[in-house]
Amino acid sequence: MSAAAAIEIDSVVTRFGAQKVHDSVSFRVPRGEIVAVIGGSGSGKSVLLREIIGLLRPAAGRISVLGTDVWRASEEELARLRRRFGMMFQDGALFSSLSVFDNVATPLIEQARVPAHLLAPLVRLRIALAGLPPEAAAKMPSELSGGMRKRAAVARALALEPELLFLDEPTSGLDPVTARAFDRLLRFLADELGLTIVVVTHDLDTLLGIVDRAVVLAGGTVIAEGTVQDVMRVDHPWLRSYFANHGT
Amino acid sequence: MSYSQLQHEQDDAVLLLTGQWNLSRIADIDAELGAAGLPASPITLDGTRLQALDTATALALLMRLAAAGATIAGLSGLNRSHERVIEAVRSRMDDGAPGLRRTGHRPLAALGAAAVKLGWKLHCHLEFLGRCVAALGELARHPGRLRWKELAAQLQHVCLEAIPVVALVTFLIGMVLAYLFGMQAEKYGASIFVVDAVAIGASREISPLLVAVIMAGRSGSAFTAQLGTMRLTEEIDALRTLGLSPMQVLVLPRVLASVVALPLLVFVGDVAALAGAMAISDPLLDISALTFIGRVDSQLAFRHVAVGLAKGAIFGAAIALIGCRAGMTVGRDARSIGSSTTSTVVQGIVWVILLDALFAVLLQELGI
Repeated sequence: MSAAAAIEIDSVVTRFGAQKVHDSVSFRVPRGEIVAVIGGSGSGKSVLLREIIGLLRPAAGRISVLGTDVWRASEEELARLRRRFGMMFQDGALFSSLSVFDNVATPLIEQARVPAHLLAPLVRLRIALAGLPPEAAAKMPSELSGGMRKRAAVARALALEPELLFLDEPTSGLDPVTARAFDRLLRFLADELGLTIVVVTHDLDTLLGIVDRAVVLAGGTVIAEGTVQDVMRVDHPWLRSYFANHGT
Repeated sequence: MSYSQLQHEQDDAVLLLTGQWNLSRIADIDAELGAAGLPASPITLDGTRLQALDTATALALLMRLAAAGATIAGLSGLNRSHERVIEAVRSRMDDGAPGLRRTGHRPLAALGAAAVKLGWKLHCHLEFLGRCVAALGELARHPGRLRWKELAAQLQHVCLEAIPVVALVTFLIGMVLAYLFGMQAEKYGASIFVVDAVAIGASREISPLLVAVIMAGRSGSAFTAQLGTMRLTEEIDALRTLGLSPMQVLVLPRVLASVVALPLLVFVGDVAALAGAMAISDPLLDISALTFIGRVDSQLAFRHVAVGLAKGAIFGAAIALIGCRAGMTVGRDARSIGSSTTSTVVQGIVWVILLDALFAVLLQELGI
């Protein structure tokens, strides 16, 4: 593993019409860590995530993921890069007409040359790694609870052995018990499989429980970056009220 | 490129793992392991020259070992992260029990299932019809509950916006009919009867059928897609919790609009078909416009037109009911809306033709 950062974001500017969402956002995500991007609603966390994974072009700035400049790479380089990271969308974005098994199998069939006899065991392994029971494989997305749907989405994101996993609000809409179990899953993926994980979240318990580093967005810029302890010491009105709800 | 090498040290078999073991090379790795002739005895895994190992290739390795009956005697030289990957996979591997049971193709069972499904579908149609009539009865007692705005919007969509296409299609079919009949009738010097044939045929059969087919494709499918999307986004559930009846708010305006719109469109179709026939009669059969109109006036009894208009109303009700029911019962996935919409159009056309045949027999018996 090289010591280079998994993600480098350099003075990214984003505008929607006259509205400026990001005004020179810069930070780095080191390999093998869980990094949380936090910030109030409308601070552009999800927008930033979409820019990192190449779905939305920023107005200015440089975004480099695993050594590839996302917005200067050719279509081919981008396709190769996309096979190296996984993304879990907020509501899972599972293919609604496919079973969980087929959802997880889709990227393997489309993108990887997997021998036929290994496909089913591999899909079942992904489903188990995401912490779903084996019988979930045959279910349709509409038959799953919110927490299971998110786990199924993680299983699909893990399908191609990504080095990097992005999650958009993984614990939103989950009860605290399910949410903490999901946090432990992320910690397991980072520790046991060596994944770098970027998680956009509001969840203070996720932040204090499993995250190595945090990046705080407010007013279009990064107001704090570092370990959670570092971030908690930063004096900023938004951070003060954010942490005020927690007894520290 | 070699990924593994089987060595024997004293009595102990050692599998030497080398290079990059990752998903993109899994086919080669798996084939090589398959050809390695793994012994059914304890094997030590040596990972001193292993550069990368991911869960997919670890799974391939463990499955090949298990298939050969080999057990892992020990790990040597593997770095900590590779050991963790092997452990994570080993603890989550299933015993190969098939997770998804796929049943074979059994024609008789499929036929039975299709028959049951058809019966169930008829049952559901009847139930929906019943609910709709009940809602209509309630509306008769409280006429204020009718959604006038929604009704007007649906009338605009089903009726006004359909006029150009209905007029065009029936005009052309009127021309074609006159042309076909004319070629035959001319042989017997009976050209003037072309007017009778087109006038009665168009107003009794052709115009209602064509309008109904157009309506099934234009509006029936739209009803299914609209209500289906509303169901997916839980808008219909939201209506219910607000104390509103989806029947009153969504279904009845569509059904009523269709019942009103279809006779009007059939009338447009009648006129356009006659215009089409008239346009071609003059150059082809030497029947002038005045003669044509006079003949229509004397030969086209009002009952033929009335039958066509009445059929239109019933076809409209059938298509709207089919479309709304399909929309209200759509499954909770993206493909389901597509298949329900297709089914609405197909069922709509089939039911219209079935009803039309029923009418033909019934009206024949009644002598209308």
